[in-house]
Amino acid sequence: MKLTHISKIFFPNSLKEVKALVDINLTFEDGEFTTLSGESGSGKTTLLNIIGGLERPTSGSVFIDELELTALSDKQMADYRLRHIGFVFQAYNLISVLTVRENIGFIMKLLRYDEAKINKRIDELSGILQIEDILDKLPGQISGGQQQRVAVARAVASRPKLILADEPTANLDSKNGERLMKMLRSLNEKEHVTVIFASHDRYVLEQSKRIIVLEDGAVIEDR
Amino acid sequence: MYKIAFDLAWKSLIRRKTRTLMVIMMIALSLSGLLFLQGLYDGMVSHMINTSIRSDSGEISLYAKQYRLEKTIDYHIDDPRAIKAYLHQSKEIDAYAIRLSGEGLVATAHKSLGATLKGVRLEDERRFGDFDTFLFQGKFDFGPKKQEALIGFKLAEKLKVTTGNRLVFTAQDASGEINAISFRISGIIKSGNLAVDEGSVFVSIETMEQFLALPNSATQIALRIKDKSQVNSIQSMLQKKFSTLDVLRWDELYPLLIEMRDMMDIFNWLSYAIVFAVAALGIFGVILMSILERMREFSIMMAIGTPYKNIRYQVISEAFIMAIAGYIIGAILGLGFLVYTASSGIDLRYYQAGLESFGLNAILYADIRYHYFFQAFASVFFATSLSILWPLHVLKKIKPIEIIQGKML
Ligand SMILES: Nc1ncnc2c1ncn2[C@@H]1O[C@H](COP(=O)(O)OP(=O)(O)OP(=O)(O)O)[C@@H](O)[C@H]1O
Ligand SMILES: [Mg+2]
Repeated sequence: MKLTHISKIFFPNSLKEVKALVDINLTFEDGEFTTLSGESGSGKTTLLNIIGGLERPTSGSVFIDELELTALSDKQMADYRLRHIGFVFQAYNLISVLTVRENIGFIMKLLRYDEAKINKRIDELSGILQIEDILDKLPGQISGGQQQRVAVARAVASRPKLILADEPTANLDSKNGERLMKMLRSLNEKEHVTVIFASHDRYVLEQSKRIIVLEDGAVIEDR
Repeated sequence: MYKIAFDLAWKSLIRRKTRTLMVIMMIALSLSGLLFLQGLYDGMVSHMINTSIRSDSGEISLYAKQYRLEKTIDYHIDDPRAIKAYLHQSKEIDAYAIRLSGEGLVATAHKSLGATLKGVRLEDERRFGDFDTFLFQGKFDFGPKKQEALIGFKLAEKLKVTTGNRLVFTAQDASGEINAISFRISGIIKSGNLAVDEGSVFVSIETMEQFLALPNSATQIALRIKDKSQVNSIQSMLQKKFSTLDVLRWDELYPLLIEMRDMMDIFNWLSYAIVFAVAALGIFGVILMSILERMREFSIMMAIGTPYKNIRYQVISEAFIMAIAGYIIGAILGLGFLVYTASSGIDLRYYQAGLESFGLNAILYADIRYHYFFQAFASVFFATSLSILWPLHVLKKIKPIEIIQGKML
């Protein structure tokens, strides 16, 4: 995946103008486990959203395997997200009226996987993420840490090309944050999923193989 | 695709039972209110019409030409026997009543008032319109010598008379002679038809023929038609057959009733519109709330790639499942109310005086018509559609990521 000359300006040509991203050029390989780091307001979330097709850059392009994501229509973009990108947001990721099992299966259902395949995958993931005991509970009945693990399970369930996670540990205590990261890391190794985080959380940084540091919308470090 | 959305809609409804039941009950209650209101209004109107038909006009009445303009016995039907024979064998006519009426003065020792003396046959009137059910006090009988009379209750009140009292009726007979005749009151009539209750005294038609010196005559022949949908064609058929007579329908005889009905229809529509508006606003509010409340959830769904049309279908399904459930419960509830009030009536005796001046009885009976339920269905459908338009518009406009990050709303 390649980002070329990505810039994002909010409220261009007005008093409120914010240059959130300035000419970002980056390449990501399959199987990466990378964190976008930097101070608050440095542009981590904005960059992640552009990679995920949730926001459009003011200029520049995102290419994923020859496909120019930024050239797609909104509807095509939604379909692309459904098929190829898994998201984990900071909190409240789940559909409140669906059980854990139904939440994990939701994307697979939208993609018309058959029931047996869905259940097999759920069993597989719930073992790794240690959520076997809560599969029939509703999101309101489980803890924040469990909710985030369920969100991870849903994100990886259909084996998308890319998992994007914006501050997935921010609402968790250190123990649960660490646990989530370990599980994500082991999924990255076992299933070879590509994961990009936006975070300044210590546990996230510790587990990352690559860290990209942003400042005022520009990359100042990539290690 | 739709199956998933419908499934989600269903789960949203059954896993948030309280809210779902609240919306359903709201729809059901306002709907049953609408149904009840309509049935009651219509019941009031048809009761008034029915009363006039039963106590006087029938569906059709025959008069001598001119009589309707100038109610004097100069314009009477001579020898109604041929007409009677015809009516008797006619299959379209259920019952008929031959009446001989005269205007005059009715007096007690203390007071006299203008009134109509109606010569009737009680047996015929009973068959014609269950006239005996209008008997409020006393006996439904003219006595062995046919010297007794039935009197409208308002007239009786004004004259301060009751059963057993004597009345003297004075009028001009056919030859222009002023005659007086005395009756004992055997019973008091309370029909709901103002003309009857306020200004009529009923006596035997034989007595009347003698009194007016008009043997074998009638001023009115009122008919009950079997098939109400045939009234117009029977009217024109009779008009052709009896071309020397006036053949008039009840609505031509009681134009005020039609005005009243039109006015009631307007009332009916107005109150329907008000109740509907309040109900629709309520439904709108709850549905809007239930969507705004889940804005973040819908945003997450859209962010992970759920197509907008799935979410739209989910919202529509949720709303219409509740609407249909609300309709069914509301229709059953409303039907229950209507059936009860159609048979037992609502007792409004407390407001009696006011209602009677409208020609209403103190007990109201509701009507039940099929179209109420179609109309109610259309109303619920319409209100629900309106209720989801705006929320769907909002949903279509949102940028999921801004809501997820808390930058919108
Ligand atoms: N939707 C928006 N409208 C206007 N300005 C925005 C919007 N989103 C982000 N910004 C601005 O762009 C800049 C980068 O924001 P961004 O959210 O990407 O930072 P961040 O690195 O994720 O910060 P944090 O660590 O606080 O989450 C900030 O100055 C922010 O105020
Ligand atoms: Mg951020």
